[in-house]
Amino acid sequence: MNNKRKWIFRGCTLLAILLIAVLMFIVGRGHTVYIDNKTLEYNGESYGALQKSEVWVGGERLSKLGKRDRTMTTVIGNSFEMKLINTVNKGDEPTETTVKISLPYGWDGILVNIPGYLANLPQEAWMTEFIIEPTTEEAAGEEEATEDEIPMGDF
Amino acid sequence: MSTKQQNAGKTALNFLRNNTVPLMFILICAVCIPISGFSPSYLLNEIITRLGRNAFLILSLLIPIMAGMGLNFGMTLGAMAGEMALIFVSDWQIWGIPGVVLAMIISVPFSVILGLICGKILNMAKGREMITSYIISFFINGIYQLIVLYLMGSIIPIAHGSIKLPRGYGIRNTVSLLNMRQCIDNLLAIRIGGVKIPALTLLIIALMCLLIVWFRRTKLGQDMRAVGQDMQVARDAGINVERTRIISIVISTVLAGFGMILYLQNIGNLSTYSAHSQVGMFCIAALLVGGASVDRASIGNVFLGVTLFHLMFIVAPQAGAKITGDSMIGEYFRVFVSYGVITLALIMYEMKKRRQKASIGEQLALAQKEEEQHE
Amino acid sequence: MKEKMASFVASFGLPRLIITGFLLALFILAPIVGVDLPMQITNVINRFSWNAILVLAMVPMVHSGCGLNFGLPLGIISGLLGATLSLEFGFTGPLSFIMAVVISTPFALVLGMGYGALLNRIKGGEMMIATYVGFSSVSFMCMMWLLLPYHKADMVWGLAGKGLRTTISLEGYYDKVLANFLQINIGKVSIPVGALLLFALLAFAMWAFLHTKTGTAMTAVGSNATFAKAAGIKVDKIRMLSVVMSTWLAAIGILVYEQGFGFIQLYMAPFYMALPAVSAILIGGASVNKATIMNVILGTFLFQGIVTMTPTVMNSVIHTDMSEVIRVIASNGMILYALTRRSEVTR
Repeated sequence: MNNKRKWIFRGCTLLAILLIAVLMFIVGRGHTVYIDNKTLEYNGESYGALQKSEVWVGGERLSKLGKRDRTMTTVIGNSFEMKLINTVNKGDEPTETTVKISLPYGWDGILVNIPGYLANLPQEAWMTEFIIEPTTEEAAGEEEATEDEIPMGDF
Repeated sequence: MSTKQQNAGKTALNFLRNNTVPLMFILICAVCIPISGFSPSYLLNEIITRLGRNAFLILSLLIPIMAGMGLNFGMTLGAMAGEMALIFVSDWQIWGIPGVVLAMIISVPFSVILGLICGKILNMAKGREMITSYIISFFINGIYQLIVLYLMGSIIPIAHGSIKLPRGYGIRNTVSLLNMRQCIDNLLAIRIGGVKIPALTLLIIALMCLLIVWFRRTKLGQDMRAVGQDMQVARDAGINVERTRIISIVISTVLAGFGMILYLQNIGNLSTYSAHSQVGMFCIAALLVGGASVDRASIGNVFLGVTLFHLMFIVAPQAGAKITGDSMIGEYFRVFVSYGVITLALIMYEMKKRRQKASIGEQLALAQKEEEQHE
Repeated sequence: MKEKMASFVASFGLPRLIITGFLLALFILAPIVGVDLPMQITNVINRFSWNAILVLAMVPMVHSGCGLNFGLPLGIISGLLGATLSLEFGFTGPLSFIMAVVISTPFALVLGMGYGALLNRIKGGEMMIATYVGFSSVSFMCMMWLLLPYHKADMVWGLAGKGLRTTISLEGYYDKVLANFLQINIGKVSIPVGALLLFALLAFAMWAFLHTKTGTAMTAVGSNATFAKAAGIKVDKIRMLSVVMSTWLAAIGILVYEQGFGFIQLYMAPFYMALPAVSAILIGGASVNKATIMNVILGTFLFQGIVTMTPTVMNSVIHTDMSEVIRVIASNGMILYALTRRSEVTR
């Protein structure tokens, strides 16, 4: 009887740890979000870039985007919120918008196009996956480490 | 009156003998710190950072010493487990504190397997645990390289080319952990003057210390201490000696895995092929500097050791440069002192063992003589 | 028949069998995958000649019960001091080699005696402490190589003019001096007879020594120290002698290695040099308290064979150089195997 209790207890702890692991998996997913202020072509229509767009993330100003500018930020988790202070054309009054997006789990880099978003287009129009080309200027000769370490170095 | 003086002299001598290493280090630091010219606040900041970084790792060494297994050079195995977990977690793009937690959870199965292997081999080499665990760390390092350099990326799927070698498989020499860098340190950081105190990290370390103190009082802890004192007596008392020894190594390996993850989250960068061996060496040196010996180590030793050892480590290159005009001298000096300290501690331990044996023999002979006289 | 096989495997040792089989497979594979076999055989023999004396240095201490000499770096340092001083004093050519041997000897004797005295105080924990004595002395010498007043242009850093370089070329000094002495070429295989002769000489001397009265006393001390003491043998003195012999052989060994390799390697190079020698003698059939000359020859050959053949053959087969990793696993696995066998009580 006591043995059974021990195993049940162990099973529950294991289950709890696994659940925490899965939770961490979801909650900790990191993405890099790139925010564009570029003219978007979609379905034949053209959605023009704004004169100026200030991007605020987490209460601090991330960047001021002119036409054709791009900025980026890192996000942990599956939702992203930013505040935009937009000036559509020169001389207009700036308008504030809050943008709340849920980020697809599988994408590492996510590109968000502001004009497309503001035009209320379907999501696939203004949110695309951003893939970085692996650069080929890697350090050459990064072969195996020999066992003759020089046991110095900061740590 | 003269016996009192003799006794006082003996206690002083004993104190010196038992604490040679920390005293030596205090001397070295006292000499080198003023020469190096670092400001006290800089040194304080550095020491607190290094404390947060290394203390958990060094705490993992306490359990095997309690169980009589000596200095666990096999903590490198736990470090490797932690590193493998971090490689996976960073490939899966899990960042920040969730990443650290996930890495710790994943490192456990790796640590347990490695700890079981290590414990089993050590049981086959009773009496030579330290040199065996030392060679085990090299052996498993080879297997680690086999996995990380050849199997990862080819048989074990790694999604991101950025952490793979140019040839397409195998992990690069350095893996950036920028996205979880100092996430635990920064969460509850307190900044006083020019000093940053990573409160959460220190809290975790304090919890670990409490855990160890509690563990010593549990049945398993008591069993380990019994095994550490005398294996035969423990066996006669019904304790499963082999199993207890293996458990002590497994626990130490798992803790070393966690400690390595904490260490790496502070540095923010993983030297895939060299981080673990450096860490193993210097943690053992630090523990010994704190006054621990092969068969006795306390939590106080851990903290004293980290402080003294890392003080020396920071200060030596500069002091060496100022004295001889060549900074390499200081770097080699601190390597020499690290190894020298371990050598000294090992020698003193062996000599103490022989002295104890000799004194037991003398006492036995004395007792026998008295018996004979009474007949 | 089956029992014979089983007992052969048990006495030869399964890991040893695996390693020998592996090496044989490599030799057979080599011509098939297009590796230049004569050149590889030359390489193996050459590397054998470089390393054999270092492995031989293990024998005295194993016999006297001091275990495997993980403190080999101490002897290596004596050899390095001899080599650098010989060059500093201006000797060149074959004479520089002889002078290096002559100069290393007093260093080896002094260091060996100190090391031996230390080991006599810590009977039982020799191997671990030897490892760290080795490490400490190598790191200490790292500082010394920078500070000692060497002036020879070939050896010091160009810019500062002081402090020895990390590697010093032996061209013009004793590079290949033994190898080229009496070199025999059979077909495309060239055999460095000079170096092999020196090894044979020292090995024979060791074998002869072990059969003298002192030599047998040494073996007696190793198998049962209390018995030997009761028989009137001065245990501490014999142990000291074995340590000095081992240190001196290590000094000669590194000099022979340097003449084959062509360079003097300072600073951190001697750091891990004990491990290949230890695992070589273990592969050859020795254990922590038993080692014969045959173990040395067989072990060095097998070890160097694997080190030489694995990269070339593997590269041709799977186009990857896994040799480093295989060497680490094989050599350390061998040492583990030896450490985990129960100490045999020799007859």
